[in-house]
Amino acid sequence: MSQSLSLTSASLSPTTARSPRVGVVFAVVLHAAVVAATLFSWRHTLEIADQSPPVIPVDLVTVGDKTNISPTVQQIVKPQDVPAPPPAASPPATPAPPPQAEAAPELAPTPQAKPAPPPQPAAKPAPAPAPTPPKPKTDAFADLLNNLTKPAATPRNARVADRTVKGAGAMNAMTMDLVDALKNQIAQCWSPPVGGPNSEQLRPQFHLQLNRDGTVVGMPQLTAQSAAEAVANPYMRAAADAARRAIMTCQPYKLPPDKYDTWRDITSLDFDPSKAVQ
Amino acid sequence: MKWFLHLAAASIAALYLATGPASAELHVTVDQANLQPMPIAIPDFAAPSSADTVAGQNIAKVIRADLDRSGLFRPLDQKAFIEKIANINVAPQFASWRAINAQALVAGQVQSQPDGRLRVDFRLWDVFGESQMIGQQYFTTPDNWRRIAHIIADAIYERITGEKGYFDTRIVFISESGPALARKKRLAVMDQDGANPIFLTRGDYLVLTPRFNPTAQMIAYMSYIGSKPRVYLFDLESGRQEMLGNFPNMTFSPRFSPDGNKVAMSLESGGNSDIYIMDLRTRAISRLTSDPGIDTSPSFSPDGTQIAFESDRGGSQQIYVMNADGSNQHRISFLAGRNGTPVWSPRGDLIAFTNQGAGFRVGVMKTDGTGARLITNGWEDEGPTWAPNGRVIMFGRTAQGGRGSQIWSIDVSGRNERRVPTPGDASDPAWSPLIQ
Repeated sequence: MSQSLSLTSASLSPTTARSPRVGVVFAVVLHAAVVAATLFSWRHTLEIADQSPPVIPVDLVTVGDKTNISPTVQQIVKPQDVPAPPPAASPPATPAPPPQAEAAPELAPTPQAKPAPPPQPAAKPAPAPAPTPPKPKTDAFADLLNNLTKPAATPRNARVADRTVKGAGAMNAMTMDLVDALKNQIAQCWSPPVGGPNSEQLRPQFHLQLNRDGTVVGMPQLTAQSAAEAVANPYMRAAADAARRAIMTCQPYKLPPDKYDTWRDITSLDFDPSKAVQ
Repeated sequence: MKWFLHLAAASIAALYLATGPASAELHVTVDQANLQPMPIAIPDFAAPSSADTVAGQNIAKVIRADLDRSGLFRPLDQKAFIEKIANINVAPQFASWRAINAQALVAGQVQSQPDGRLRVDFRLWDVFGESQMIGQQYFTTPDNWRRIAHIIADAIYERITGEKGYFDTRIVFISESGPALARKKRLAVMDQDGANPIFLTRGDYLVLTPRFNPTAQMIAYMSYIGSKPRVYLFDLESGRQEMLGNFPNMTFSPRFSPDGNKVAMSLESGGNSDIYIMDLRTRAISRLTSDPGIDTSPSFSPDGTQIAFESDRGGSQQIYVMNADGSNQHRISFLAGRNGTPVWSPRGDLIAFTNQGAGFRVGVMKTDGTGARLITNGWEDEGPTWAPNGRVIMFGRTAQGGRGSQIWSIDVSGRNERRVPTPGDASDPAWSPLIQ
């Protein structure tokens, strides 16, 4: 019977398995050791106290809200502040047609501005006053450029990217910004249902139209496939509702008005909770 | 508990097909989330008759408490409400609810009927979508208002999260009182929110490991009546209790099969214990394990085809799984330390368990033993039990030094840990299925 009772305590109430006595004994021994160590080292401590350094009086002064102390830090003149060359380059640009503006930078490094005229003698009077004062500055700027090119050399630890992303056109970078701006704004309001079975696989997809002021036109519409899934699966319906609430709650969206043509129609707005629900 | 989770993630989004700026296609993928409890407005339910005002307030209060405790909702303070809902059959002024950032609105109404019953209506509104998500009507006896509140909370929970709620449920547990050396342990039941506690036994005998049957009408438990530790059945309807079988030795650790027709339990014999199944209709018993170790804590998979149990046959207490006929017994727990008290999730995807390493912790693992993780971090947390939707776990917690045992609940994700109110000390909770 005693065997069976011990079986009970082991299998049914594992809480009794822990014995506090070991801990108590250990604590008592430890306390005794600390007290003993304190007693033995007491004299030594006193000697050290005698040799303590003299007390230094310190006055605490309240600092006023306003002070007339001038800054001791000198303003560092940035190299970028130097470039007066832009004016040097711009004067020829204003009177001359666009092709000449391209030629101007090539001329800048050369110390003599006078060889420039040959292409167009008529423009000569205009650039003439400009070259003289900026002349040294263009040199400085050129030096600066030369210096800048040095660190631009490939660092030793640079590596080639795993893959390169090629834009589909000049608009690509801008579109990426738009996409990031929009998704970051929606993400602030998106709280998808988590903890359900396979909730990371519920990916509702919407069509969306936006007004110029960033508000949503009507209600975001589920794509046909998502709508069908939402009808069949209550988890999907909840996920779709949560996504729709996110879209509606976070409007109006702050997007560049001059690119309205690009973001007016959002062909597909997908919600992917796979990273969010982990 | 308010939790805020902001997850950074890699951006996979843009695919720009340059067919011309004006006719460009824009594809956006949102893959970062801001996980937060949903702000929901639940005004006191309207009462056309002033006699029902208190009922309207009470029902709304219970719904708010249920949803708040789930950790998935944040009921808003009524003082902020701009619109007063007087008639739930008129669409609310959505702008006034948007103004206080309510994403959902529960508008309800309570009316006493001429026949003495209580009629409760409610509508759940999507504030930003300006549409009704659900609308339902219930009739009940006035003293049953609390259940109606739980049922409404379940309906809201299910509509918004996509999964069944768990508010209209009960907990059976062991209520503890008295000094440590003469501890009184009584069988008790209460609503999942701690309301309506009822003691089922007087505390004359030690009781342990109570478990509900699938209809929540019957409780199987172990009691030391007459110094004979045996498994008993308690019928909640009639208050009758009976010993399950008449065995010469100790029987313990009972659990019902999902269909409620069988009970799996351990039988002890000469220091060895094995798992048996008893058919409650025929009282026939069949043996499932026969090794020399201690096999106990059986728990059925929700489809009834498998049983998880604990055994020390390998040298230390670990979790094993076998078919319901006892075949194919294999170990699944490999988390450091001892692992025991497996409980199969009602959803079937996970097994909750108690891990004994530096302390006692509750954890969950997949049914093949992979993905094991501990979700609590108390001094002594043990004996998990699942909410019927497989989403929340309750467990017993004892503070360091063994003073005071309590019941706590936690989301299966490890978030939203909360104490469950109990009358005095309590341990060994078991969650009922949704009340039918």
